[in-house]
Amino acid sequence: MNDKYLTVTALTRYLKYKIESDSNLRTVYLKGEISNFKAHSTGHFYFSIKDENSIIKAIMFKSNASKLNFIPTEGMKVLVTGSISVYPQGGTYQIYVEDLIEDGVGNLYIAFEKLKEKLSKEGLFDKKYKKQIPKIPEKIGIVTAPTGAAVKDIISTIRRRFPYAETYLFPALVQGENAHLDIIKKVSQAESYNLDVLIVGRGGGSFEDMNCFNNEELARLIFSLNTPVISAVGHEIDYTIIDFVADLRAPTPTGAAEMAVPNVADVIAGINQYKIRLQESIKKKVKMNSLKLDALKNSFVIKNPMLMYNVKTQNLDNLIENLNKAMLNKIDKTKLRLNEIKNNYVLKNPDLLYKKHIDKLNNIIEKLELLNPISMLKKGYSLTYINDKVISSISDVKENDEINVRLSDGYINAKVEKVGDLDGKKD
Amino acid sequence: MEKKIKFEEKMKNLESIINDLENGEIDLDESIDKYTKAMALVKECDSELKSVEEQVSKLVTESGEIKDFEIDE
Repeated sequence: MNDKYLTVTALTRYLKYKIESDSNLRTVYLKGEISNFKAHSTGHFYFSIKDENSIIKAIMFKSNASKLNFIPTEGMKVLVTGSISVYPQGGTYQIYVEDLIEDGVGNLYIAFEKLKEKLSKEGLFDKKYKKQIPKIPEKIGIVTAPTGAAVKDIISTIRRRFPYAETYLFPALVQGENAHLDIIKKVSQAESYNLDVLIVGRGGGSFEDMNCFNNEELARLIFSLNTPVISAVGHEIDYTIIDFVADLRAPTPTGAAEMAVPNVADVIAGINQYKIRLQESIKKKVKMNSLKLDALKNSFVIKNPMLMYNVKTQNLDNLIENLNKAMLNKIDKTKLRLNEIKNNYVLKNPDLLYKKHIDKLNNIIEKLELLNPISMLKKGYSLTYINDKVISSISDVKENDEINVRLSDGYINAKVEKVGDLDGKKD
Repeated sequence: MEKKIKFEEKMKNLESIINDLENGEIDLDESIDKYTKAMALVKECDSELKSVEEQVSKLVTESGEIKDFEIDE
């Protein structure tokens, strides 16, 4: 009679079989909102996906979860790919998630990545442009929403750590379509308040909520500021464009306040340390000086003052002797030089200088003589002219031409009888 | 108020005076001068920090008006 009753295990196994054999449930595309999210220490994610009326449990194993480039958060709208099965020990059916993407933010992600790459290429994120955050700021600006946890966290953390600092809130919209415009306006307003550091941020939220910080104009504005900027958007895992362009990125608003100001106790301890070092160094100085004084008092010279006189006297003697030696030396050298000059050969034979010039002149005259054409004529050469032009070729004359022959001592007028070349051929 | 020497500036001054003193190249007269100056700075910094009254945060409106801003903790 017990035969018709099933064990729970048997029923569950049957349901599991039924569900797993349904091909429609093998690959399911599901959209909904994340709820009860838990990241287990093993790396698996446990959560639920729900809409207004229904809910389904979900598990994402580490092998798939580790591939996600974001951490799912409560209320996040997601697109899920997975398969349905039964978990017997829990008595539940659930979806085994293979992939998860944020619904509706795909395009925002792409735009974010593009802007990040563009600004990075331009060098806006370069370390060399990062300004130093002052160690002990006195005026701190905050651009965030005037309500909510972020502003409270920042202000209360600053007051607790370093009440000396003044805080100036520039209230801004940090969510919604035109939030970036308001943030830009408040950041540029803050720049003119001579602040030591400016915190810009908001509390956690979805990627869409934080998208107002992924704005190019805002990024360029922050890059151009003279005031050092700490970015403080969302949680540790949230990154926005201003996190890269800011001089310092804080994981959270509270973190930003901790980075902005020192702990007052540490500063006071530092001042005490200075005090101790000051006292030590002056003590050391005085001690060193008194040691020096003692050493002087006990020095040999102070104790035997006559010695000092003796030493000086000896020095003086040395100096006088050196001076004498130097003077004698100088006189000897000068004498030597005078003798050298007296014995100079040219000085002794001044006509040598004169004769050299006459010889040179004669030489030149002789050379010039050789070049004179008249001297050639003296040797028996002659020059023959026709009509005052020198004849250099037989072609210059013909028979019966009157020619003129120039000799060294006069000339001959003559008439050409015959013209012929060297072979005897007649023209 | 705007032109007063910044706290961090004073601390830097202190640090550099102390370094000078510790390096020991200066003579006793100058050392004592520096010591006196540094001690005055120490007192000034110390009392500035300790005498801070409860600060009220300020809110700067768009028109530049500065108001007190209270957070409920």
